[in-house]
Amino acid sequence: MSILELGYVSFPILLVMIFLRAPIGLAMFLCGIGGLYFAMGGPVMFMAKLKSETYSTFSSYSLSIIPMFLLMGQFATLSGMSTSLFKAAESFLGHRKGGVAMAAVGACAGFGSICGSSLATAATMSRVALPELRRYGYSGGFSTATLAAGGTLGILIPPSVILVIYAILTEQNIAKLFLAAFVPGLLAALGYIITISVYVRVHPKAAGTRERVAWPERIQALIAVWPVVLLFSLVVGGIYLGWFTPTEGAAVGAAGTGIVALVSGSLTWKIFVDSIIATATSTAMIFFIVLGAGLYNSFLALSQVPQELSNFVVSQGFSPWTVLVLILCFYLVFGCLMDSLSMILLTIPIFFPVISVLDFGMSLEHVAIWFGILVLIVVEVGLITPPVGMNLFIINAMDRETPISETYRAVMYFIASDLVRVAILVLFPAITLFLLPS
Amino acid sequence: MGNAMLKLARAMAIIGGISLTILVILVCVSVLGRGANTFGHSSLLTGLAPGLADGLIGTGIGPVQGDFEIVEAGMAFTIFAFLPICQIMGAHATVDVFTSFMSKSVNAFIITFWEIVLTVLIVLITFRHFDGMMGKVHNGETTFLLQFPVWWAYAASFAAAVMASIVAVYCAAARVMGLVTGKKYLPNSEGAIH
Repeated sequence: MSILELGYVSFPILLVMIFLRAPIGLAMFLCGIGGLYFAMGGPVMFMAKLKSETYSTFSSYSLSIIPMFLLMGQFATLSGMSTSLFKAAESFLGHRKGGVAMAAVGACAGFGSICGSSLATAATMSRVALPELRRYGYSGGFSTATLAAGGTLGILIPPSVILVIYAILTEQNIAKLFLAAFVPGLLAALGYIITISVYVRVHPKAAGTRERVAWPERIQALIAVWPVVLLFSLVVGGIYLGWFTPTEGAAVGAAGTGIVALVSGSLTWKIFVDSIIATATSTAMIFFIVLGAGLYNSFLALSQVPQELSNFVVSQGFSPWTVLVLILCFYLVFGCLMDSLSMILLTIPIFFPVISVLDFGMSLEHVAIWFGILVLIVVEVGLITPPVGMNLFIINAMDRETPISETYRAVMYFIASDLVRVAILVLFPAITLFLLPS
Repeated sequence: MGNAMLKLARAMAIIGGISLTILVILVCVSVLGRGANTFGHSSLLTGLAPGLADGLIGTGIGPVQGDFEIVEAGMAFTIFAFLPICQIMGAHATVDVFTSFMSKSVNAFIITFWEIVLTVLIVLITFRHFDGMMGKVHNGETTFLLQFPVWWAYAASFAAAVMASIVAVYCAAARVMGLVTGKKYLPNSEGAIH
């Protein structure tokens, strides 16, 4: 068997292992060393590689942004900023039809600007917003679905852990990717708000009413949000303006949110340990996948599968748009089964070379950034699609009274809004790219 | 035994977390120092208050020398130290959709099988890392700016990797025992939410 054939064969083997519940990082690792073993006719190469591969992956300066952003998100959940965000949004929107749900989405968007993880955003905002939603007579499934969808804003609005991984895999500028994600992120929030107003008109019983809040109170609530605004501008603005590297920005953000949490008095030693444990678990999970993906990808590169695949696509003369839509559909389907990070690590090394040889009438950098944002959105849809939408589980675990089937029904509206947004962003790349310096 | 292992994993995570916190503070100090240095050289300050500008620069304020290298070395240790808790909580990312249709005992078998494979791999990684470390000891490689031997960083990571191996071996043994006796020996035997 040639090395190229080995490369092709490895993919179905990998999928079978993953579907048989192998830890994803482990499956990629095994396929990587297995592939290198057969390609080289012995273990010498991968044994030599393993001497430094783990250390160099774990000590990567650009990857060190990940534990720092995760720590920042953990501190943010403790800082009380979620409460002030929700109060501010609620005082402006609460009296509208479905307004408390809209406020929850708005607060999720605000929280997403200091937190790079969807699950943390969904869990934190649920703690604050779920009791309020239920208090004002919002139905169970509608409330949980709103928060699950709102939670995805944690990743869509920068900073975003997934974008960091994408940037490293495709050698793109993290600052530019963050900037490009900004408008699509706001569009997502807007889309969810429109979805809510449609939903409460279709199901008038799903939402109660709440009286209007007076202006002085609104202004007061708005002022209380200043730490969020400050942290977001400092971290994302600072990275973008070149004051510091993305890793430094993440460190500044983690320290800043840590100080806010400390000042708010919620950061005791016990809670600090809890946030460390949560950060540690997610960090180790992510780095183990990155390690496995690194080995698998070095085998794939050796086998030249990505190159052959892009040659094939070009020689067949498919329209670039067809290829793009097929890839996005692939992510939508797989997103129902697999977590977003594993999917990105597994597929970007194969899909990105294909996309980069196609002609979309833009510079390669613009295509890379635009494609990154599109992929980010479609993999995030996976977080709210049944059967394994992680956000749905997390929130349903917090609201035991609501059967998950009710959440499933209501979340369909939000998925529809996601799909419309993806279509708009595919058709009009300028929406993503216009903020970038030319 | 299980309690001791959980404690060990938690202790490693906390040590890693403290190391992460120190790195965060170090980077912030470096950023502040560089900012103050830039400010001291800026035309604004040199124009408005040259004495103050000279004074600021005179304090020797600036970015932390070689912060980049410390972050890399420290981060490797941190991540290795984070492995045991992920292992013992069963928090590695998996796809459960297809196996959820199978019976509980089949699932328990599958989980145990992968746990054993994962343990073999982690032990292998630890051994190879040790070899890599010995290589760095012998070739005397040092970092570019701070000139500290690279093997120091390898050694710190190796210590954490050994702990990860111990916890991994325990987890595998606990899964096998669980399969045999039908009892639960690990905190999250049903698979964790990640």
